[in-house]
Amino acid sequence: MKLSEFRFERPEVLQAAEPPEERGLDRDDVRLLVSRRGAHRHTRFSNLAEYLDPGDVLVVNQSATLPASLPATWTDGEFLLNCCTEYGDGVWLVEPRWGPGDPGPLPLSTGDEFVAGGETGHVIGEFPGIDRLLFVRFEGDAGVAMARAGEPIRYGYLEGEYPLSAYQTTFATTPGSAEMPSAARPFTERVVEMLRRRGVGIATLTLHTGVSSLEVECDQLECGCRDVWNPLYPEPFVVPAATARAVTAARERGSRVVAVGTTVVRALETAWDGTRVAPTEGFTRTFVTPERGVATVDALLTGLHDPETTHLAMLYAVAGRERVLDAYESAVDERYLWHEFGDSHLLFAE
Amino acid sequence: MSRVALVTGASRGLGSVLASFLAADGYDLVLTARDPDPLNVVATSLADLDVDVTPLPGDVVDADHRRSLREAAEDLGGLSLLVNNASALGPSPLPPLAELSTAEFERVLSVNTVAPLALIRETLPLLRESGGLVVNVSSDAAVGGYPRWGGYGASKAALDLLTKTLAAEEPDVGFVSVDPGDMRTAMHRRAFPDEDISDRPLPEVTLPFWAWLFGRDPQSVSGRRFEAQSELWESA
Repeated sequence: MKLSEFRFERPEVLQAAEPPEERGLDRDDVRLLVSRRGAHRHTRFSNLAEYLDPGDVLVVNQSATLPASLPATWTDGEFLLNCCTEYGDGVWLVEPRWGPGDPGPLPLSTGDEFVAGGETGHVIGEFPGIDRLLFVRFEGDAGVAMARAGEPIRYGYLEGEYPLSAYQTTFATTPGSAEMPSAARPFTERVVEMLRRRGVGIATLTLHTGVSSLEVECDQLECGCRDVWNPLYPEPFVVPAATARAVTAARERGSRVVAVGTTVVRALETAWDGTRVAPTEGFTRTFVTPERGVATVDALLTGLHDPETTHLAMLYAVAGRERVLDAYESAVDERYLWHEFGDSHLLFAE
Repeated sequence: MSRVALVTGASRGLGSVLASFLAADGYDLVLTARDPDPLNVVATSLADLDVDVTPLPGDVVDADHRRSLREAAEDLGGLSLLVNNASALGPSPLPPLAELSTAEFERVLSVNTVAPLALIRETLPLLRESGGLVVNVSSDAAVGGYPRWGGYGASKAALDLLTKTLAAEEPDVGFVSVDPGDMRTAMHRRAFPDEDISDRPLPEVTLPFWAWLFGRDPQSVSGRRFEAQSELWESA
């Protein structure tokens, strides 16, 4: 895939700089673009159930967002330590930044000691190919540091500082994500109830997201980030047996499986054994591309993704490049908002 | 509890990358390789990290050397991780099996299969005591049946089976085999003497896998065979 295949015009202004609640809306008042059979319909997220059939199964990510951004110090000054992925036994993959809109790089290297959220840690090594991501070991408990001093990871395009609750979805039960699995953010009790009444099933899995800031900041080829296209960034996930069964059963009876978010596609594709979705637990490095194909889902409900980001490859895999870019043109025309507090897109494969 | 790792084949490639990662993570190390100079270079490069590093040059097929490796680990306080990484490729370029001499095949088996088991046996009391982990470095050649890789592949296939069997026999210790995948190493260059292998990733590409593996409880992964560069690292 060439980077040029992932370019489209999206005016800078079409970004949600604040949660819809700040604009006096409910979460489910965001707009919903439904792309199906070559046509694009514009509606509200609260009408989602109208576009699904009885028996369809929505698969949602129940990962909850961590207060993963820690104030930190080392001998040369203060910085933010954004905790990305827990590897176990005190080891974390982290991204140190000067600030929300100022990524660095910071001159931290192997062996350096720091204090983050009151807990001491040291640098073990660099993530291969992405210099700004470091492996560190906390001597104490990173969870304690987060509870004490952590904030949700924030980026420069946001207008204000919103509380952790703004970064949780209604399905969030299992803390572990560095960034909100934002596709499910517009779901409310009202929407869930309407789906239930319509006979749409909801199954859960867990995939803890890492930081996506690499993509957000490196969406210009000229930025010099040599690993902007490295997608093989491992994330922990669990596809429970009940969800594996629900997905397999839906496929067998001809109902649709709708992934809520790219994280769900990644988890289900990793758990696909060639004939069915199997209960699976581990770390996934799966990169879903058109060449690889998508076997497990019939539609993807997700936000709007930036130009030149790897998530687009997954959207192309689900619905084809032409259809996705056509949908995005329609979204731009209609002034949809991008990013985690923005509008929503239901993209069907057929 | 003290964390001590023993890494064989630690002077170059994957072995030296692992040694650096483990030292930075606070493991005291016993390192071995046949050639003393590059081994000492690796050990010296770790001097700034706050850990004890004992470089012991020698051949893992030598029983006396294996004993001294075990004694060096004891001097550091025990053993919680053994990485059997030292491997013999065989002749370069790799010959088809019909042309692989018995002597060459025996050398490959001695280094890749017999010596790792002997080193495990030598250190097993220490590993039982720590509830430690044994990593046997394998290869996709162990399952491939690739032309010219028969001798090396057979030695690694046997190592995989030893790993699985030990996992079943020794419930207090974790045993895994790991296929690190294609990497730009001296061994890979010897295997493909006429090819440009610069498209292969450096052995550092496997570090996220090792960080993941070492973060797991050894018993929860015991008996498994992993591919460090695969899409899925499955723990349960």
